Amino acid sequence: MISLIEFAHVDFAYGTRYVIRDLDARITENQCIAVVGPNGAGKTTLLRLAAGTIAPACGEVSLKGRDLRLLKQREIAQSVAFVPQNVEVPFSFTVEQFVEQGRTPFLKMFGGLRGADYEAMRRAMELTDTWSLRSRVFNELSGGERQRVKIALGLAQQPQLLLLDEPMQHLDIGRQFEMIDLIELLRREGITIVASMHDLALIDGTFSSVWLMSPDEPMRQGSAEEILRPEVLEMAFNCLPHHRPRLMERIRNRMEHAL
Amino acid sequence: MAREVTEERAIYKDTHHRRPYWLLGILSASVVLAALIAAGMGAVHVPVWLLARQLIGGGALSEDQRMILFSIRLPRILASLLVGGALSVSGLLFQGLFRNPLADPYVIGSSGGAVLGASIGVFLLPSISAAGFGTIALLAFVGALGSITLVYWLARVDGRTPVVALLLAGFAVSTMLSYSSYFLEVLDRDFGTGMRVLASWLHGTIAQPTWPQLAIVTFMLAIGLAGSVPLARSLNTLALGEEYATHLGLSVQQTRIAVIVIGSVLTAAAVALGGLISFVGLIVPHMLRMVLGPDHVRLLPAAALSGALFLLVADTVARTVIAPAELPVGVLTALIGGPFFLYLLRKTKQGGLS
Repeated sequence: MISLIEFAHVDFAYGTRYVIRDLDARITENQCIAVVGPNGAGKTTLLRLAAGTIAPACGEVSLKGRDLRLLKQREIAQSVAFVPQNVEVPFSFTVEQFVEQGRTPFLKMFGGLRGADYEAMRRAMELTDTWSLRSRVFNELSGGERQRVKIALGLAQQPQLLLLDEPMQHLDIGRQFEMIDLIELLRREGITIVASMHDLALIDGTFSSVWLMSPDEPMRQGSAEEILRPEVLEMAFNCLPHHRPRLMERIRNRMEHAL
Repeated sequence: MAREVTEERAIYKDTHHRRPYWLLGILSASVVLAALIAAGMGAVHVPVWLLARQLIGGGALSEDQRMILFSIRLPRILASLLVGGALSVSGLLFQGLFRNPLADPYVIGSSGGAVLGASIGVFLLPSISAAGFGTIALLAFVGALGSITLVYWLARVDGRTPVVALLLAGFAVSTMLSYSSYFLEVLDRDFGTGMRVLASWLHGTIAQPTWPQLAIVTFMLAIGLAGSVPLARSLNTLALGEEYATHLGLSVQQTRIAVIVIGSVLTAAAVALGGLISFVGLIVPHMLRMVLGPDHVRLLPAAALSGALFLLVADTVARTVIAPAELPVGVLTALIGGPFFLYLLRKTKQGGLS
């Protein structure tokens, strides 16, 4: 198995507050990883480290064996795409103009878009089922459509690794299922995926492994069955087991159902 | 099926990515036409058809008419075209940089420095000139660039320049510099002559430029436009926000510096020729965005042409409407631009500014 991203003894702190401590992990090809954990556990930070937009305080993050700090962001963006949680666009760009930005790492300073660029954009929009939205204004789309268009931008980068930050956020249950289907589809296309996930009940067989992050504890890795067990989660999320028995029961049921 | 897809693909490329050639064509033709009409207007009327014949074959005009045309009207027409184009392109660049359609060429403080520079020129050193530029124009140019350099230096923290810091420092420096020109006004010993000169400059007046002046500004505008071409695409990426643009491989800091340098030189050049002309740099890019959408690659050439056209028309009206007296052109752009801007604000209240 080829390792795409490797974290070696990675520490990261915002100011003096350590979010990630001594992280060792590997993202290998064709994995589909759900990153879970309570708020502030460092899920987004982990994705940013993998995308090279922030650098670790200690340790090393490497892409296919090369230290990310030694690579140009442009080179990283040619194989790693990061889809952020929120994107604010001040002007009324169309979906197509928005997706076009995914070609940025491939364009020369004075060159325009070429055939291969249009091909990548078209493919990205077809996969995410946003081709029919291409002339619509991004800011006028619904939450679910916007989410798919953001992923289309990431796919236009033709990445080997797609990092999704909370792709299910603000989506209704129907759109959440569509998103799971999309992740499944992309996985079958051979794209390695890491997604931070808030709603544990949405993690099913689509994901090959789950990374559980919790503050002040080493990250746990395992299959969904190993990680998504009430006793593990109760510890990580710091919720007293019988504090809200009915709610806990419901969550437990939903999770058993999902697995 | 395969064929259908190919056809659709062809249409996709054709309709969505060509430049707005039709609009650029119409704008270029309008600029030429407006320039011809403007050249004929004034105290000595010169018919358009005579002008056209003069330009094609020569010899159609009398000596007086030729003199008026080549040493008075054409320089002024060219100046208004240059100033309008420079302000409009600079406004477009700053709006893209700040990701805000309400930014204008003076947003990071060039106007304050220009006012102070011009005041020094008016009250302290009234009689030096270089390359056809008088002290007012030269010092306004230096002041504009100087205040932006100061703002940039103040806003820089750890090798980064956050846009909010730029805006705030720009506001503070600009206000301080323009008000400090008051102390120079006190020195005015010519019974208010200097005050009148300064007032007309502050309101934006395209004075009588000389050909060397025009050549220098044309050169600056050409450099600025050429430098803006690769920036236009970067501004599209920057619209996604700093972090996302950085992830996509855009060097945000370099883009920012390039926009500030080019935008400032364009603004300073415009200020040197025409004083403080308001609203052109704000409204022209805004209007075009309504027609062409927000893609900076499409907007850039159209912004240069429309800005030029708009200011030529405004200046021609300004110098003829109350002839033999003249209105400062800035008064006119404010009177046209202000209401139009408010109209846009109200119209786009619900949908947000486009």
